[in-house]
Order: sequence, then structure tokens, then C-alpha cells
Amino acid sequence: MPSLSSLLDNFFYRPDEDVGPIEEVVAGTDEFIETAAEEVPEEYLAFRLEGEIYAVPIHGVREIVKVPPLTEVPRAAANLLGVMYLRGEVLPVYDIKVKLRLADTSALVAGPEAPPPPRGARIIVVQTADGLAGIWVDAVSEVVRLRPSMLELAPPGVGGGERDCVVGLGRRKQELFILLDIWQALS
Amino acid sequence: MSTAGKALAEFIAEGTEILESLSRDLLLLDQQRGTEPDPEVINGIFRAAHSLKGLAALFGQERIAKLAHQTEDLLDRLRLGKLSLDDQVLDGLIESLDVLQSLLSEASREEATDSLGERVTTLGQRLADLGTVASASDEDPLDRLDLPAQVRAVFTEYEEHRLRENVRRGVALYRVRAAFDLSDFDTGLTELNARLKPLGEVVSTLPSSEPGGLSGIAFDLIFGAKVSSEELTQKLEGTPAQLFSIGIRPATPSPRPSESESEPEAVAPTLAAASVPARKTAKRKPRAPKAPTPEVVAEEVVATPTAKTTVLRALESEPAAETTEAHVPVRTLVQDPPTSRSGRGEGESARSLTQTVRVDISRLDALMNTVGELLLIKANLQRMVESVRQDPGTSLSKAWGQELSRETRQLERKLDALQEGLLEARMVPVGQVFDRLARLVRRIAREVGKEIDFIIGGGDVELDKLIVEELSDPLMHIIRNAIDHGAESPEARLAVGKPRRARISLHAEQKGNHVVIEVSDDGAGIDELGVRELALRKGLITEAQAREMSRRELLNLIFLPGFSTARSVSELSGRGVGLDVVKNNIGNLSGIIDVWSERGQGTAFHLTLPVTLAIIRALVVGVSGRTYAVPLNSVLEILSVKPAEIRTVERREVLDVRGSTLPLMRLARVFGHPEHHPDRYFVVVAGLAQERLGIAVDELQGQQDIVVKSLGGRLQGVRGISGAADLANRRTVLVLDVGALLEEGMSTERRRA
Repeated sequence: MPSLSSLLDNFFYRPDEDVGPIEEVVAGTDEFIETAAEEVPEEYLAFRLEGEIYAVPIHGVREIVKVPPLTEVPRAAANLLGVMYLRGEVLPVYDIKVKLRLADTSALVAGPEAPPPPRGARIIVVQTADGLAGIWVDAVSEVVRLRPSMLELAPPGVGGGERDCVVGLGRRKQELFILLDIWQALS
Repeated sequence: MSTAGKALAEFIAEGTEILESLSRDLLLLDQQRGTEPDPEVINGIFRAAHSLKGLAALFGQERIAKLAHQTEDLLDRLRLGKLSLDDQVLDGLIESLDVLQSLLSEASREEATDSLGERVTTLGQRLADLGTVASASDEDPLDRLDLPAQVRAVFTEYEEHRLRENVRRGVALYRVRAAFDLSDFDTGLTELNARLKPLGEVVSTLPSSEPGGLSGIAFDLIFGAKVSSEELTQKLEGTPAQLFSIGIRPATPSPRPSESESEPEAVAPTLAAASVPARKTAKRKPRAPKAPTPEVVAEEVVATPTAKTTVLRALESEPAAETTEAHVPVRTLVQDPPTSRSGRGEGESARSLTQTVRVDISRLDALMNTVGELLLIKANLQRMVESVRQDPGTSLSKAWGQELSRETRQLERKLDALQEGLLEARMVPVGQVFDRLARLVRRIAREVGKEIDFIIGGGDVELDKLIVEELSDPLMHIIRNAIDHGAESPEARLAVGKPRRARISLHAEQKGNHVVIEVSDDGAGIDELGVRELALRKGLITEAQAREMSRRELLNLIFLPGFSTARSVSELSGRGVGLDVVKNNIGNLSGIIDVWSERGQGTAFHLTLPVTLAIIRALVVGVSGRTYAVPLNSVLEILSVKPAEIRTVERREVLDVRGSTLPLMRLARVFGHPEHHPDRYFVVVAGLAQERLGIAVDELQGQQDIVVKSLGGRLQGVRGISGAADLANRRTVLVLDVGALLEEGMSTERRRA
């Protein structure tokens, strides 16, 4: 639909519009500059779960927060650790260790009987189809830049039986990152 | 949101508003079917179509603009009397409203299906072909009018038409001359118009050829009076107006085609005539040529018990109705190809397309004022902080403390006012949904060939916008059921001695913190034995349970998932959406639904809903070290109970409260928390409608205003919890869904019985 605003938009000067041609003239070549030669690295957020390092594309992560007091939800699904308040929104916090077969049962982290959360523990907030959701991680390690050539498919049998969650491996020198499909892990 | 998205949202909001007013006016026309339409109503519809056309064109919504244009065209012809308002025209208008609605809902999803496009094209064609019979009169009645030629020359086409119409009906015409001072002639003229309006029709306002005094201006108002000249003179006393009768020469005896065409319509005793007189002029109506017959009035009185109630005649059925009536109503809707029908089914939701709320500017002003006062308090507090910082020793005096406590009290009061104002701004009348439902009823009734009076009452009761929107689908479903299963065919009704037309009524009423909405019909009622049999066959209950169940419990089985009494899955109700979904939707709004039915007498559904969901007062309770909030509007009382006082009936725990038995539920047990065994329990007696349940908790922590947040898509299925709220110091508590818990209490009772 050509809405009024997009029609108006065409009228206005945008600084990036006239820069391109000038640069081309300056370059003084008839050929186009090759841009595809270099690989574009993608940024991943690496975090720790039961001693293993996992990573997810950083654009899928909305924010990382310290573990607030979680409120347990009675009679909810087993992988739901509880709910938390984040700037006026209530969002569920999930455990993915069981899904990844790193643990047999979800840890007790909410309610009066729960021990205080470990110092390093964080909640990664991601956007899902049903709104925001939090994921418990033991620690957040770093943001890594991985080029496509550094990625490989996960070898068969890796991923705790849930092949769907693990989409591949990322290798940076000796370090290994398990690339996770976070939405699959939440389903 | 992107700018394009914002523009679209704006368009949808405004378009919806226009369509709503269009629909209201059309409904009015529909109710007045068969009578001479009020020119003001037609003008209103014409203006609405016109503004929709302009709006759609501005936003590049070509299909809507085109159809609105064609509708406007038709209305223009109607307005100018080139076309008379018969059933075909009215049906065409109503269908075009439906199509416009679907177009708008497609636009909101940013799609454009071909099936709807096709419908637009065929409908446009139909609108263009409608009633091309222009009344070609050989003699213009205006010629009989005693008006100077130069006056006649300045009339617009519309004014000429209205004048002609007035002459044709034999209305006494006057030239009302009024002179005003130049300085305030506009207010004077408006006042005069306001006075004249209830007395008849102001056809045209012309500057007078006579001088209006030294510094004045005079106007000639051409006026068709509905009242006698004495009354008119009397009513105009105190205004500068002078009355001059405009003479009409007698008509030539030869019958003119235009007259013979429209005469039977005007003279025929039409029922709907009586629904016009909502205005004060109605009492003077006997002077008008088409007075309602006395029997008709009597019947109307029965149908409209209160002034607020409006009656919609869903299907005209008088045996004396014109011949066109017999085939028209069915034709227009059944002929639709099935593809377009399914397309319409989708757009048929009575939900509004927009999230906007119209707010009275005075409400916003009040909010603004409150904010201003809050800023003042903030400034005061800042000053106090500053004084402490500069002189820590002396400022922490008693006076300082008193001032601080005064300021906090002020702050609290203002925050309360702010909260209240915001809640008020979210309130909209339920009538918004009722109007939309009325149109649906009319159409559904036609589709199934039933004759139904749809009675609406209490449309001005206000509810939170969110609730009103969520309410539309459940209400629509219940009403469909009433039309489909409740109301019998006219023949069947006559056979059992009921009036031919079935009645379905929709009524809202405020009861304290709740609004009760009742949907009732005087149809066949629910056969509880049939319900029982079906529930047994489907394995929803056991034989033993069935024996124990009361009539009321049997009736409530219809809300169980997987239950449907319709033998043949009809197009209307057999959509795979049952009453269980209705019940769930109502439950999500913290409401409760109840059914009453008497075989042969009818069925009534009662929906009890909270007035607002946004901020509620809650009782904060503790159980096994956890904290929960219970909405205070469903708490009846709180008891302190020793464990020994808890008794069991058939292994189910109950309490004896002043001689009656109250089912008891231990929250810790239901929620699977480790159970403590305190010396005494606090029992929160919760109730909605007539259900009662005692909820046992360990401690009471007080009352608090809470903002309830929904748990969101992923957690909506958690039973017994309606949302979460943030208490102070980052404590998140869950809010109990009392409706669902009551439900659960009742069903365990049933299961154990």
C-alpha cells in the first residue's frame, strides 16, 4: 500500500542517497568493487551451561539480566523455572538443560526453598513468537565473531539426542562453541 | 511501529469509527423500514460514505474508496429523491456496509483477496443498477408553489427536492423571515434553527431581499411545518421571526406517476412507524399524514419496557407487507457464492479492528491537571531534600517530618486520582459491541429464515475497553446459539401458542464492582435430559455421576469441551468452537458464565464480569512461604478456622459456616506446595455469581492495589492463575483466578460424587 508517509518519504533528502555515485567516480574504475570476497563474520553470544560453552546469534538476544527473585508458577510445565518482572512485563524463565540432556530435572531456583542463585548466573531474554522469554544460563562468557568458514555441522549424536536444538559447531582455534537454536530449545 | 504502519493504524481507527456511525444510522433506517425515511438520517449516512471515500483515497485504499464512492452515489440519488428507499436499496446499503467492513479488516491485515475484490465489483454494479426509476413527473409541484422565480432560482438540487417532497405530502410551508444584528447574526440564526428543527424541516436558508434594518441582515427560511400554525407562532415567540405562509395552488386532478408510486408506502399501516418517535416531536405526530395505528403502539409498548431499550426488527413478516418484501430478504443473501461466504465468515467477528479508545477531552484535561499537581508535589519534595543536604543538622526537625508526611499524603491522594482517571479513560460503553451484534443478528436471522426481535438494553453501561473487545466473540457465539437452537421457526411457535416472532434480548447492568450481561431468548429452551444423555454417550460423565446431578449441574454440562447438542452440524454453530471456548474466554476476563433454561420457556446466559482488569485491589495471602494475590472483588469474607473445624463430606473437605456448608480448598495442596500444619487457617471465602468456595491459606498479608499483567501466550494455559503483579521491592506475585478455582472446586466435587 503506498501510504501517505511512504509517498512523502520520497520527497525528502536522505544523506546516504547521493554518496554512492560520488564514491564511484572517485574510485575511477569501470568495474564494480568486489565486496563479496571477504567473509562477513557474525556475532554470537557465548554462555556456559553445566561446563559446556554454547552460543546463539546475538541478534536474537534482547538483553542479559542478573537473576531476579523468580516466582514459581504452580502446575506449570516442568521446564518453566518461574516468572520474573522486567520493566513492567511479566516473562517466563525457562530451563533448557533438561532438553539438552545436561540435567535430569530442572533446578529449584524459585520459591522460598530455593538457594540464592550462583553469582555468575544470568537470564538471557529473547523474543519468541509468544512474546519475551528468559533462559537461565550458568554464566555469560563473551561475544564471539564467527565467520561462516569457522562453522561446521554438528557430528551425529551430538546435542543430547535433541538434534533439533543444536544447529552446528563453531570453532575458534582450540575453542569449541555449540551453536544453539534457542527457539527450538524452548519449544 | 514504522511510519507506514502508524499511518495504516490511523486509517483503520478512523475508518472503523466512520463505519460504526454508518452502521448505527443504517440500523435506524432498518428499524423504520416501510416508513418515509428521515432525511437527516439519510444525510448522515451520505456524509459518512463521503468522508470514508475521502479518507480511503488519501491512504491509497482504492477498493474502499471505490465502493464508498458507489455507495455515496446511490445515497445521493436517494437524497435527491431520484430513488425511493425500498427494501432492495436498503439491502444494498447494508451489504455494502458489510463489504466495507471486510475490506477494512483485510486492509488492517495488509492483504487483498480476489474473492472480496470480486464482491466489490458485483456489488458496485448492483448499486449502480438499483432503482433507476426516476420519478418523471409531467408537472413539477414546485410550479404550484407561490414563490418568486428569483427565489426558486437559487435553490440547490437537494433543496428543490426537499421542497417538492414537502409539497407532495401537503405540508404547510412557511417563509420565516428573521432580521438579526450583523454583530451576532450567526448565533441568532443557530438559535432559530434549533427552535425550528423539532417543529418541522428547514428546507433552505436564504438571505432576504428585504433590508434588515440599519446594521442588520435578514434571512428567509423556507420551512415545512409539522405542527399547526398556532403552535408554530406560539413556539416562535420571543424570536425576531415573522411567519408568512407560502400558498400552494391545488394540484391538477390528473394522477401523476410519482404520487401513485409512493402513496401506498406512506399510507400502509406500517409497524415500524412507531419506532421513530424517540424524539419529543413524536407526541405531535398525529398531524403528520401517516399516524401509527393504535394497536401498533400497544404492541410496541410491550416490546420496549424501558426507554433505553431499542427494538430491531430482524425480519419483516407482516402478511400485509408489500409483494416485494416476500422475496427480497432471502434473495440478497442466499445468492452469494460460497467462496465469498467463507470470506465473510472470517470478517464476521464483532471485534473491532482497532485498539483506539475515544476519550472525552475533559477527562484528559482532568488527568493533565492531576499531573500538574503531582509536579508541584515533586517540587516540594525536591526543596525539602535540598534543605536537608545543605543543612543536615537542623532540618531533620519535627516540623520537617510533619511536612514530609503531609507531602506523601498529598502524593498518595494525587496518585489515586491519576489512577482513577486513567481507568475512567479506558472505559467504553458496551453498546459499541451491542450495535455491531445487532447487525449480525439481522443477517443471521435472514439466513436461517427465522423471525426475531432483537432487544438491546443497558448499552450505556461502561466497561474497560479490553473487556468489551474480548466480550464480542463470546457474545456473538451465544447469540448465534440462541438464533440457531433457541428460537423456533414461526410455524412451530404459533403451534405452541407463542407469538410468531421470537425474542432475543441482550441486556447489560452494573452491579457493584461487576457488570452482568444477560443474553436471553424465549425459545425452546435446553433439554437437560438430552444434555445428560449426550454427556453420557460422549463419556463426559458416568452413569453414577449423572444420577447425582441436579438440573442446574446438568445444564452446566454444555460448557464442557467436546459437547455439542446440535444433531446436524449447522453452518452457523458448527464451527468447532463450542461453549467451552466461550467459557474460557469469559474466564480469562475473570468473569463467570451461568445458564438458566426452562423447557419451552427459553434460555438465559448470565455473564458476570469485573468492570476493569487493569488495576484491582487485592488481598495478599501467604501459603507455604509463597505469596499470592486474590482480587478483592471476589472475596466475600475471611474466616479464621481451626483444623478441627474442617469436616469432610464424602472425603471432600467442607466448612460449616453459619449453618450452611462451604466447600473448602487448601491452596497449598492444590498447587502442590509443601504443606504446613498451622494451628489455624485463614479461609478466604470467594464467590462469583452464586458459586462459593473457601480457600484455605496460611497467612494474610494485607490489601494492596495491584496492576495485573497477563502471563502471556506461553503461560496462558496455567489453571488457577490469571496473571502476575509486581508488589513493592521486586517481589512478583501471582494473581489467583478465582473463577477457575471455583470451577475446579465444583468439578472435583462432581468427580468425587
